[in-house]
Amino acid sequence: MSGKIRRADVWTLVTFAGFAIVVVFLIYPLFDIFRYSFIDKDSGEVSLANWIQFFSKKYYLRAFTNSLFIAIATTFFSMVLGIPLAFFTTRYRIAGSTFLTTLSVLALLSPTFIGAYSWITMLGKNGFLRTMFQSIGVTLPQIYGPLGIILADTLQYYPFISLMTAGALMTIDRSLEEASENLGARPRRIFFDVTLPMVLPSVTGGALIVFMMSLSNFGTPMIIGGNFLVLPTLAYNLFTSEISETPGMASTVSIILMLCASIVIVLQQWLASRRKYASMLVNRPVVKRLKGIRSLVAHALCYGIVFLSTLPLAVIVYYSFRKTSGPVFKSGFSLDSYRQIFFDVPKTVTNSFLYSLAAVLLIAIVGTLLGFIIARKKSGVVKVLDSLLMIPYMVPGTVLGIGFIVAFNRPPIYLTGTAIIIILTYFIRRLPYSVRSAASILKQIDPALEEAGINLGSPPGRTFRTITLPLMQGGIISGAIMSWVTSMNELSASILLYVGQTMTMPIKIYLLVVDGFFGTASAMSTILLVVTGVSMYIVNKYFSKGSETFVSA
Amino acid sequence: MHAIRIIGVEKNFGEVKALSNIHLEIEKGEFFTLLGPSGCGKTTLLRTIAGFCRQDKGDIYIENELINDVPAYQRNTAMVFQNYAVFPHMTVFDNVAYGLRVRKLPKEVIAQKVKTALRSVHLEGFEQRTPDKLSGGQQQRVGLARAMAIEPRVLLFDEPLSNLDAKLRIEMREEIKAVQKSLGITSIYVTHDQEEALVISDRIAVMNQGRIQQIGKPWEIYRDPLNTFVANFVGKINMLTLKLGPSAGLGYREASLGNITLHVPAHGTEQLDSIIVAFRPEDVVEVRSTDRRNTITGSLRTVSFMGSVARFEVDVEGQILTIDRHRPRETDIPPIHSQVVFSVPPESVLLFDPVSGKRLGKGDRS
Repeated sequence: MSGKIRRADVWTLVTFAGFAIVVVFLIYPLFDIFRYSFIDKDSGEVSLANWIQFFSKKYYLRAFTNSLFIAIATTFFSMVLGIPLAFFTTRYRIAGSTFLTTLSVLALLSPTFIGAYSWITMLGKNGFLRTMFQSIGVTLPQIYGPLGIILADTLQYYPFISLMTAGALMTIDRSLEEASENLGARPRRIFFDVTLPMVLPSVTGGALIVFMMSLSNFGTPMIIGGNFLVLPTLAYNLFTSEISETPGMASTVSIILMLCASIVIVLQQWLASRRKYASMLVNRPVVKRLKGIRSLVAHALCYGIVFLSTLPLAVIVYYSFRKTSGPVFKSGFSLDSYRQIFFDVPKTVTNSFLYSLAAVLLIAIVGTLLGFIIARKKSGVVKVLDSLLMIPYMVPGTVLGIGFIVAFNRPPIYLTGTAIIIILTYFIRRLPYSVRSAASILKQIDPALEEAGINLGSPPGRTFRTITLPLMQGGIISGAIMSWVTSMNELSASILLYVGQTMTMPIKIYLLVVDGFFGTASAMSTILLVVTGVSMYIVNKYFSKGSETFVSA
Repeated sequence: MHAIRIIGVEKNFGEVKALSNIHLEIEKGEFFTLLGPSGCGKTTLLRTIAGFCRQDKGDIYIENELINDVPAYQRNTAMVFQNYAVFPHMTVFDNVAYGLRVRKLPKEVIAQKVKTALRSVHLEGFEQRTPDKLSGGQQQRVGLARAMAIEPRVLLFDEPLSNLDAKLRIEMREEIKAVQKSLGITSIYVTHDQEEALVISDRIAVMNQGRIQQIGKPWEIYRDPLNTFVANFVGKINMLTLKLGPSAGLGYREASLGNITLHVPAHGTEQLDSIIVAFRPEDVVEVRSTDRRNTITGSLRTVSFMGSVARFEVDVEGQILTIDRHRPRETDIPPIHSQVVFSVPPESVLLFDPVSGKRLGKGDRS
């Protein structure tokens, strides 16, 4: 009896801790932003001035429409690239399709700002592609502004759509298409009547993620956007210029950005909750072999899309080995850029590794415990916690960064300028993913397995250790590695929170790019790319059940 | 000494009465089956015995030990699960050894016991396989070996064959029965398959809506059902509701439906104005003429040839009855829509009260 009570207390404690985390590190900072949005910065009085200003001044409203325009365009072009790629790689034999998938996942997981600034080196004012074409008399458009953002965003995010669609295409039971054919439908008819409706939930699911990512992306528009402002960059600019005053306008912009994100998330959740077409997968779909010109076209298309999206990464790696003299590239190769990193800013590298490691440990432990509660303890309180843990999905990094500064630069919690505040942002941003994945792993573990253990005489503690935990292990580790990758590459929140001592690699890269030190920036980006690639390889090799892991985890 | 005694057990899930007033006594070494449709409470009862859920009322004894407050892991019952529940991250050997290791037995003893258990389920040589390399039937054998290995006080089977295909199901049930008999472990077996229950059990408890309807040997359950639920659930049976008429003398009463008039024993029918007459398809005797008393006439609708019998569906006063013809030959199957006349020997006719569903003539018992 006493054992039972003690166990209950442990889980009550975990639930309480979950609420504490949500209240202190989410609701409190977000409420602060909300509060500031109603304070007039001149008078300090409570007023609607910021809100009225936002909706009456073209400058602000334009950022809003710009954001929507970028997100819609990115989503559209991502579908244009992603759907055919998914269809060709799953339905036709494309040589090296696993390799293509790996490359596109690498593009997806690489830091957003790397792609952006790589396009600048190619198509910027003095970009080498541009000068190349100039010399043969063709003037390419400059990349700064909306065009560059859409290009960089699309080539980064389209794998969300191609991977999710491919996943759906591979799990359609072949019998369904055969049944349609058997009833007299021609191939085109089969595609539109059976295949497309079956994959549509996945396509729209992927599209909403792309929309959301592009809407809240900070790095790309900051680097390549020029004067073209979107909501995250507007909020950042306002906040950094308002720093001495109350951040009223930045708060208002943040709230509006968060509202947009929330609508998308709610839509996505609603869509995901609707019936999915689960199949028994008795008959896997056939992979057709194309012949002659058709095969050539299919291969060209697939390789074209994927190579275009990995081109920016290749360019970065190339530049990291070029000889430099200050900001200027010289002919020939050298390791100067790397030497520079390790002599000038080694702290940046160690910071990134240490902070991410600390955050990942926190995420894995807290995420697993909270995930266990959500999967196995069904009470009203737990349901509330579950929905509260959704909030970080809706908070773009920029908004969380602003919230953390305004909330934690005064008592009772004073964290400004510490490493803890950066670790905490990583932690909070990734927490819902890790809770979800732990909960879903647990839901896949048949409770009968735990019962079998207990039934054979093993007490609950031993059963958890010998049966539940080993079965969860793979999922926890692969989730932790995904958290590690996103933490290593985090920019949008940490750029608001860092001080000289707590600078991380993504921040340093951004600053180097702004100052024109492309060589060092490239070398540092290459380090991040290698970390990302190696992590991905480990997940893929040891833990994954297909590339979909990367878009769901 | 009873292996298991269950006294007045009740269990509610919210408004739903999952178990009400369950009384059971199971002998040592007995193969006892809980049979019933899904949602009848049979699995809940099994899980209550295992300790996975706690009854609201009543007591459960295993070998005279009151186990109400004994946690599941100390009950020394071993369950064979419907979906096998074979630990996917362990080899076959480790699965079977799991319960033995928990009991801290010496290594050599464990190896010996695992070997014996695997031999009895015909899985020698599979020790180092992982479960994903096993078929459903093999996985369930591992589950059985794992449960047997700990030499439990009682083996619990939770619909262990329902995920297997028909042929394997029949093979496995024979094997389970043989293994159980050779070890003599008291077993409680849950199933919704009445044929399986009849074949495998020493005794059966038929359950419905959280209540035990009847406990008895397979013969009794089939031949001597105590109410319409048991009669309908176990095997195929025909039921006709007839209006009771005046006394026909000699302790009989007339009962009629349309053109049919039957004489039924008057005993126990005093308070009734109608009665259910029930009989099994195989008990029907076809007759040539309608002159004999207690005959039923109908028109032949369909004939299904099933090998050892031909099953006729006959329209009698708008109701479809099923009658079997044994050792059928194609030449003596009557044409569709032709008249079929048959009667049922009195000892094969079961009478029920249409209101309570209870058997008549067994009145003294209830």
